[in-house]
Amino acid sequence: MPDFAKETDPGRAMPLAISNLTVSLGVGEGRIAVVEDVSMQVRPGEILGLVGESGSGKSVTCLAALGLLGSGWQTDGEIRLARTRIAGSMSEKALSSVRGLEAAMVFQDASASLNPIQRIGKQLTETVARLRKVGRGEAREIALDLLRRVEMPDPEERFYSYPFQLSGGQNQRVMIAVALAGRPELLFADEPTTALDVTVQSQILELIKSLRDETKMGVVFVSHDLGVVKEVCDSVAVMYAGRIVEAGSVDRVMNSPRHPYTMGLIESMPTLSGHIPDGIEGQVPSPLNRPPGCAFAPRCGRARERCRKELPIGSSDEKQSKDYVACFFPLTGDLTRAVNSEPVVRSKVANAGGEDALLELKGAACDYGTRRGLFRAISGVTLSMQKGGSLAVIGESGSGKSTIGKLMLGIEPTSEGTARFNGRPVPILGTKDHIEFTRSVQLVPQNPYLSLDPRAAIGSQIEEPLEIHGIGTRQERRTRKFELLEAVGLHPSLSDRYPHEVSGGQCQRVVIARALALRPQVLICNEATASLDVSVQARIIELLRDLHGSHNLSIVFITHDLRLARSLCDRVAVMRSGQLVELGETTATFEDPQHPYTRQLLASIPDVEAEHDQSREIAQ
Amino acid sequence: MTGFVIRKILRTLFTLFLVVTFVFFVLRLTGDPVSAMMPDDTDPAILDELRKQWGLDRPLGIQYVEYWRNLFQGDFGNAYRDGRPALEIVAERIPATLKLTLTAFAFIVIAGFPLGIVAAVKRGTAIDRGIMTISVTGFSLPNFFLGILLIFLLSVTFRLLPAYGSDHWYNLIMPVITLGTAGAAVIARFVRSSMLEVLNSPYIRACRARGMTEREIIWTVALPNASIPTITILGFMVGTIIGGSIVTETVFAWPGIGRLLIDAVTSRELAVVQTVVMMTAASMVFANLAVDLLYLVIDPRRRYASGTGEQ
Ligand code: SF4
Repeated sequence: MPDFAKETDPGRAMPLAISNLTVSLGVGEGRIAVVEDVSMQVRPGEILGLVGESGSGKSVTCLAALGLLGSGWQTDGEIRLARTRIAGSMSEKALSSVRGLEAAMVFQDASASLNPIQRIGKQLTETVARLRKVGRGEAREIALDLLRRVEMPDPEERFYSYPFQLSGGQNQRVMIAVALAGRPELLFADEPTTALDVTVQSQILELIKSLRDETKMGVVFVSHDLGVVKEVCDSVAVMYAGRIVEAGSVDRVMNSPRHPYTMGLIESMPTLSGHIPDGIEGQVPSPLNRPPGCAFAPRCGRARERCRKELPIGSSDEKQSKDYVACFFPLTGDLTRAVNSEPVVRSKVANAGGEDALLELKGAACDYGTRRGLFRAISGVTLSMQKGGSLAVIGESGSGKSTIGKLMLGIEPTSEGTARFNGRPVPILGTKDHIEFTRSVQLVPQNPYLSLDPRAAIGSQIEEPLEIHGIGTRQERRTRKFELLEAVGLHPSLSDRYPHEVSGGQCQRVVIARALALRPQVLICNEATASLDVSVQARIIELLRDLHGSHNLSIVFITHDLRLARSLCDRVAVMRSGQLVELGETTATFEDPQHPYTRQLLASIPDVEAEHDQSREIAQ
Repeated sequence: MTGFVIRKILRTLFTLFLVVTFVFFVLRLTGDPVSAMMPDDTDPAILDELRKQWGLDRPLGIQYVEYWRNLFQGDFGNAYRDGRPALEIVAERIPATLKLTLTAFAFIVIAGFPLGIVAAVKRGTAIDRGIMTISVTGFSLPNFFLGILLIFLLSVTFRLLPAYGSDHWYNLIMPVITLGTAGAAVIARFVRSSMLEVLNSPYIRACRARGMTEREIIWTVALPNASIPTITILGFMVGTIIGGSIVTETVFAWPGIGRLLIDAVTSRELAVVQTVVMMTAASMVFANLAVDLLYLVIDPRRRYASGTGEQ
């Protein structure tokens, strides 16, 4: 296993050593192995990236190491923290005396990981008092100091805030402070930046790195985002279907991946140069029906007979070595990536607007009422989209990008200026015209599960808009339903399933199908892929692009992810603090950003391809 | 927040107004106090005379306006039979009813919460199933039946407690159990499910990850969070208890407002009925208001709620 800590201190114990860990759910015959035969080590000061799609077992591995899996789970193999061996037989009490002290954990959704009804200062103070065994007063001082160390703005004031009063990034700082309270030797960071905006994301990554430098703690950094992993980690372990399929130094793995799955992950990443991600076909097999041979075989382009029969695992020697790949036919050589030569069909209209705009905001402002009076979410925004166009609205949360969507959908009225569709003012939600208007403009929201009724079959939900608008006979609606399922790439048999029975990506396809039911002219996608895995994201983008091309559909794509924006839209609008700062053709904007904020945004994206390009040049 | 409280109070007052109006008309349209009081063979002239004397011969609208005018002067009207002020008649009965309902409320909280917590913590075990079985039984027994059952068992068969009376503390035992059991069962179930929901939330896992013991987690994190939704149910319970107290007071001959109401309706003592209904409705809506205000105290998210921000 990897051994790439920048500096190692022989006097310090290894913060984490896992060998041959198998984690299974249930007991006896019907036991399901979720994680199988995993070994890894983390040295003091090392950041190990644990990478894989959801369902690969990365989070389960971390939870097992802290004994957090709960009843029903069984762990075999060995887990060693700095001073303690974690065993399945340990009592909750014994475990709780280890947690926080030898290893701490921060989670993906920081805002949901703090007690919602207790001030953060109090939560932090209590943790410090318990873990360091100090009095209230002293704990309070330490707590404040921790807040300063995680670079919380106005720590004295924030000390008295509740989690819901802080932003996602600030809450993640609090969680990190809480994790540091017991001066742990090891930090598990489970997708700590996934839910955050790009600029906040890079601040948090910097923070984790600098805290590592300061404390020499080991870090296990769980992520599905290779760009982020590349930026912060020293070494990487790639997990697939419960096993580590490749491990090595971050440079080696990213520049010359040897396992086809690692390669697939790298290729799924949207990049700044407008490369359109392909995504990996298929899904991670569930632990219930993993194929007998290589678990990746059904999705692997290199798979041969042997792969389907034998399990590619290295000898135990190999597993302890610095470089490891579990594949019979590994890739060799430097990363040579198929250059996407096919040009993207873009609309030729550069600066649409004026008379023939389909959707248009003119000097639009929008106010929300708050306790202190009116809050202006956006002001003076003028932008437009022509028929068949695609416009990305980019910004961090709080930039007003969602408000633009709301104005376009008539969910909020404009406080100043106008919102027009086809030359006529956008009707406001609740008015009679609005119902008619929704036939032309449809929303695809961020979380597909929330927008579907969990108790209704998928098919009936796709038909629903047709029923509401009284379109077609029963039979016609049925036919249309299957057409729509096909259009979004779903098998007709899914029609009778319920939302919880299908994956997140499929669910988002259902939402898109439902949005398309009324043959709208515009689809407004609000962070429509933000909650999905990278490889699924790529395929949804592909679907949207197809629909855009084939159905003469205009798309407004609201996102914080510049790479997605680039791969889908022909024009971009960059929002900051309620103002439109830059608007233009995508290629031009990305290659030659005019506004300093756009430049800053572009600079803060972890980009893998830039370096690939370099290495490719060197190779040539 | 002040705006919120004022809006709440205004809405409360409006509800009260509707209740008073509704009761006023329904009572007068469904029966005549004079014929209810006098023997059937009374001379119609005497009946008319009585109606005139009590002002019942005038158009309803005028009576209604009159009623409100008197109300604003603190006059709730008088009983027809003995001429005593209705307010006085009702006020005499309030302490007995308060004693019963408040004790029942305390019983609901004291029995319901711990049972719910234990069931949640021991989820899936025999203890959990036992508690839930008791809870289903308690919830499905109609309270008059439970009352009669208690009297039969404790008073008639085992002679442990007197079936009637209200002078000693032990007189409270059976009525309170009768009145509170269903509520305690509902609370136990509800506390259990909200505890389970909270115990499955990410912040509980995060608490474990920072080394909190199960006991600390349950008492200092899970229970306070689980209590918040439960308070809504406690608010509803006020209505259930007041309604149930009518039956309970009748079964145990408890000298409270519930029994007064039954008597007054039968004898068409309009002023008394109206006063009781108004008091009851007032206590219910004010209990609701109290719950809403309590929310502001214990749930910081509501305290700081401030319209809608972006996203
Ligand atoms: S072992 Fe075979 S199927 Fe598995 S990744 Fe390697 S080539 Fe593909």
